Amino acid sequence: MRISSLQKWFIVGFASLLGFTLFILPVIASSIYSFQEPGDKGYTFKSYTWLLDQDGFFSSMGTSLKLAVLAGVINISLMVPTMVYLNLKGQKFKSLVDFICILPLVIPVVSLAIGAQNAMPSFLQNSQYELVFFFVIIGLPFTYRTLDTSLQAISLKTLVEASRSLGASWIRTIIRVIVPAIRGGITGALFLTFALSIGEYTITSLLHWETFPTWTVVASQQNILGAIALSVFSFVGAIALLSIIALFSKKGVRQAEAEK
Amino acid sequence: MGVVKAQRRVRSRGLGTDVLPLLPFLFFTGFFLLWPVIAVTLKSFKGNDNEWTLENFRPIIHGGPYFHSFIVSIKLALITASIGSIIGAFFAFVIVTYVRGRFKNVLDSISAVFANSGGVPLAFMFIAAFGTNGLATKFVRFLGYDIYAGKFTIFSFTGVVLVYTFFQAPLMILVFQPAISGMRKEWREASTNLGASAITYWRRVGIPILLPPFIGAFFLLFAGGFSAYATARALTSGTVSIVPIVIGALVDGNTQASQTNLGASLAVGMIVVALVIMIGYVWAQKRSARWRQL
Amino acid sequence: MSKKDRVSSTLELRGVSRHFGPVKALDGLDLVVAPGELVALLGPSGCGKTTALRIVAGLEVATSGDLLVNGERYNDVAANARDMGMVFQSYSLFPNLSVSENIEYGLRARKIGTAERSKRVAQMLELVALESKAKAFPHQLSGGQQQRVALARALAIEPRVLLLDEPLSALDAQVRGQIREEIRRIQLELGITTLFVTHDQEEAMTIADRVGVMSQGRLEQIDTPDVLYNHPATNFVASFVGVMNKISSQISDGQVEIFGKRLKATKSEKSAGQVYALIRPEAIIVKTNTSNSNAKVLTRSFLGASSNIVCQLSDGTIVQSLMTSAGSGDLHPGSTVELEVTTSEVLVTYD
Repeated sequence: MRISSLQKWFIVGFASLLGFTLFILPVIASSIYSFQEPGDKGYTFKSYTWLLDQDGFFSSMGTSLKLAVLAGVINISLMVPTMVYLNLKGQKFKSLVDFICILPLVIPVVSLAIGAQNAMPSFLQNSQYELVFFFVIIGLPFTYRTLDTSLQAISLKTLVEASRSLGASWIRTIIRVIVPAIRGGITGALFLTFALSIGEYTITSLLHWETFPTWTVVASQQNILGAIALSVFSFVGAIALLSIIALFSKKGVRQAEAEK
Repeated sequence: MGVVKAQRRVRSRGLGTDVLPLLPFLFFTGFFLLWPVIAVTLKSFKGNDNEWTLENFRPIIHGGPYFHSFIVSIKLALITASIGSIIGAFFAFVIVTYVRGRFKNVLDSISAVFANSGGVPLAFMFIAAFGTNGLATKFVRFLGYDIYAGKFTIFSFTGVVLVYTFFQAPLMILVFQPAISGMRKEWREASTNLGASAITYWRRVGIPILLPPFIGAFFLLFAGGFSAYATARALTSGTVSIVPIVIGALVDGNTQASQTNLGASLAVGMIVVALVIMIGYVWAQKRSARWRQL
Repeated sequence: MSKKDRVSSTLELRGVSRHFGPVKALDGLDLVVAPGELVALLGPSGCGKTTALRIVAGLEVATSGDLLVNGERYNDVAANARDMGMVFQSYSLFPNLSVSENIEYGLRARKIGTAERSKRVAQMLELVALESKAKAFPHQLSGGQQQRVALARALAIEPRVLLLDEPLSALDAQVRGQIREEIRRIQLELGITTLFVTHDQEEAMTIADRVGVMSQGRLEQIDTPDVLYNHPATNFVASFVGVMNKISSQISDGQVEIFGKRLKATKSEKSAGQVYALIRPEAIIVKTNTSNSNAKVLTRSFLGASSNIVCQLSDGTIVQSLMTSAGSGDLHPGSTVELEVTTSEVLVTYD
């Protein structure tokens, strides 16, 4: 409506100030902090390098990466065909699957962890790879949404019919036609699952496995600065990465505008 | 030709064959999601001697520290959801109304990162910023105000609330934005054109339309605030006794059999609360979609 | 609410401009809509027609110029105090209110009592023939029905002026014609002063008493459809309204030669040099069985009583001819023909 320019700038200004204090300030403050020499003696990279020297940094990092990659792969392999089917011929199952995929958001991860302790067969419980499956489960809500949005944005039915009418098999259609069309969604889902897996703490610690996050908490008890340095690094890194991706992706905005 | 034949075959067999492609998904979620939930539920009803019993729920219901932990959890969830939803709604409104193009894309991604942050890194960041010697603390002290002058400390309930807001508000921004975007400017313009004031518009059209999505989002935030574990754990090393931390303590420590069952009952208690919230959320979603036209 | 009871209003825009920095959405618009008249503002997107409408409605403010209703200056009157009914292109019905509640919205805002409101709502529903949908919700209605409700809602408040912002553009082709006729019928029945914005020239020409063609913020010409079609004042109007052929020729002594015939060039500033003659398809006939040939047939489209024949000249120019189907039976793609102009005057342009 006809809101005056002055009012507009006032609101935006206030929002920016609030946003800054609440969100940016902690990030900046902790970033600066992480470079500080204990006792206010100046600035240093020591906190960052200290962490690298610790036992277990690389092994736990390696474990986390390994598990995260596996989780991403399994997630996509399971969900892409499922979502494609759901949007094509399986429409009637959509609300059921939607419901199942919302469950990990609702069921406390803590409860899931305890349940895992009681439910998983011992061959799984003795392997850190059991975490992979739970990482996938935790990522389901986001994966579902992301893939669903992508699939709905393309005219899936038309693409499939065109491909099939030209003689392509189902597998070929999925790989050559659908996957490229929802590239954005798949990348998003992969990235999210990966990020979730790398940062997952709850299940990992309750099931007594050592991954990067759990190792960090233990290590931090010796040197809080190091832990802080790491947290800052991962956080700022993630923001920077996503912002860059976002800056270069025009598709999301155009699609959203078009849908209006 | 093959497509037509397949369709005909499937239709004649009804539900049975249609569900086949979904089996991998159903087996996966059944085994790794539903089965653990069932298992922990069963466990909570079993006593030391493996007999069926309600004993494990007694400490929760009859008052005492376990009951108290639920109160604390619910309080935490309620407060952070309220603060987060209000702040988030405000930001969502500003973003939808005033931000365009690539910058909006960037803001959305940042919100996504913040919303999914939480856990260990977040806790440490806030310690760095708002701890007793944190930089933000020092900065504010420099401006004249000492936040530690009173009872405040980042390692307390209030501190946890502050940190939780950091991811609750962005989550609200993400979840509530579509609702705000869905408000057509034509509605406001038509209302004005028909002679109504702004208040009338919001009272008769705006708020009724935005309320269900808002409530739904609130429930979502509540669920998140209730179930979070890592953040509080890293921040307070267990001093704020919310249910997840109590469970963690039971699992980490020297557990006797009775205590593992207690852990199970606590976990089930959490599931019950979460399910109640879920019902609220689904109800709100249904109400939100009521008037949607495609 | 019939013609007798209503006092129809005069709507006038004097020199109305709307600037966004260097961009001129509207550049000095002068327009008078007589009481009970339906004026259509026609033009491509960005021409300023919607801006003009929104300024009348009060949803936007003019940077300069005056808006007058019945001689009274309305520039500073609040948008919700103008007593004008507006119908938007789409999405304007309140989704959480039923059809009846939508229609009575403006009445409730005016604090009109329940009994009176019900009566008016019933009248409106009857006017747009949607009595059976009184309790339905917008998402349960088709696009055409929604627009009829939007119209009813705008008229329920007995506005001085009716404003329509491309109300048919979002509808299916078949429904469009029906709703268009209904709008016109109701408008005439109520005798309400109406401003109708559209980019569809067929729509404007069939529905309006007068049509104002706009381009880049300026009003090119405002006249009855008849005059607009046959005597376009500018080249833009000539090419925008209806189909127009553009044939190159030389002008000398105020005359051009087209297909061997000398025609008077009206309103020409140049007296010599290269020009393009603007000729309507119905002013060109295609002749076979002659010794002269100056074109080749590309396609022939059968439109019922008439046929549209598309030909190509030796210099590559495409020329369309609209003839009776009877007279064009033996025209096949590829055949060489002679084109002839049937008028004696043409409009010319230089680009």
